[in-house]
Amino acid sequence: MLNRILFYGIGAIALAAITFFFTRGMVVQKAPVKVMSTIEARIAAGAGGWNACLHNQVYGPRTNAARRANPDSIISSMAYDLSDGPVRIAGETWPRYWSLSFYQQNSDNFFVVNDLELDSSSFDYVLTLDGQDTSGLGGTPIVSPTEKGIVLVRRFAADASDMPGIIANQEAMTCGLA
Amino acid sequence: MKHLITLIGAVLIVAASFFLARTTTVKSLTNSNSIFDTFEDVDGTWLFSDKIGAAAASDVERARVALGGPLGLSAKEAVYFVATKDDEGAPLRSQCTYRVTGPAIDTRWWSLTLYDSVTQHYVPNDENRSSWNSVSVPRADEGTWVVNVAPTPQTETWLPSQEAPDQNFELMLRVYNPSDATRARLPNIELPSVERVSC
Repeated sequence: MLNRILFYGIGAIALAAITFFFTRGMVVQKAPVKVMSTIEARIAAGAGGWNACLHNQVYGPRTNAARRANPDSIISSMAYDLSDGPVRIAGETWPRYWSLSFYQQNSDNFFVVNDLELDSSSFDYVLTLDGQDTSGLGGTPIVSPTEKGIVLVRRFAADASDMPGIIANQEAMTCGLA
Repeated sequence: MKHLITLIGAVLIVAASFFLARTTTVKSLTNSNSIFDTFEDVDGTWLFSDKIGAAAASDVERARVALGGPLGLSAKEAVYFVATKDDEGAPLRSQCTYRVTGPAIDTRWWSLTLYDSVTQHYVPNDENRSSWNSVSVPRADEGTWVVNVAPTPQTETWLPSQEAPDQNFELMLRVYNPSDATRARLPNIELPSVERVSC
């Protein structure tokens, strides 16, 4: 009798421990993907679809910004989906500070470049999956590790007086299938 | 019958363990300061991480950053310092006034932003200000600067904390395109002091 109680007791503890640690691992691993999916859906909804630009055109704190967002960095974003082919993002840089950063689906910032690293004040990047044909598309190809992800363009605004120039810069930017 | 009872017991154990694990894990990943748990303590006031957005981050570090401050730049582009305490080691509290005195930082630009530690968002205020940056902040000849953090208006460079008392907040210093000399000394660069003036 004692042996049976011991057997079931140990079995129950082992089952609980295995379930607990497996679930914990899954939650930790899936959390960034879930966050990215949520942000992508918000960007796509605001931009009118995937592979489209969404521009913040307000200087300073915004109530609908992401957690711990930077109010001095004016952001254009795009939720990308490479299932229909490569996606292009192109435009002009911003002299105070400009950077283009790509985030894969687990939230890693797998590529970033800033205006000082470019040869000219214009940029033209083509996001692609490994193996997709980019011949004849021009631009600088960047391979995304995942089919979906997020592109951010940051421009430094010292104060609100920078906004007209930034808005003009944003409106000259293009996002879409290459 | 005996097997059925065993099976029901096993299902209940799995279900209870699943919900317990999910609840406690999400809570531990999202509590107000958990994003900083794996940051390095630089000088007792400022915390630092070069794992934001990095492939080298552990699963837990990646999850905490994704939940608490998603889409940060990798250390190749910018580095992040956070203060949740003053220079005496006391948590930053909304009812207190602080003087943040900083050096000239050898970098392309920097910004200092205040966040409510609970909401992890900006603190609403009449000035609509939650930050100062390297261009907007007035600087002395040698490049030093002062920002006054307080719940009520200050005569100069006011960074508003919330009017509600007993709320924790944090200061985030973002350093974009640090010079090679700054980068070589990271994280041990000269950082702002956070002095409590009154409470």
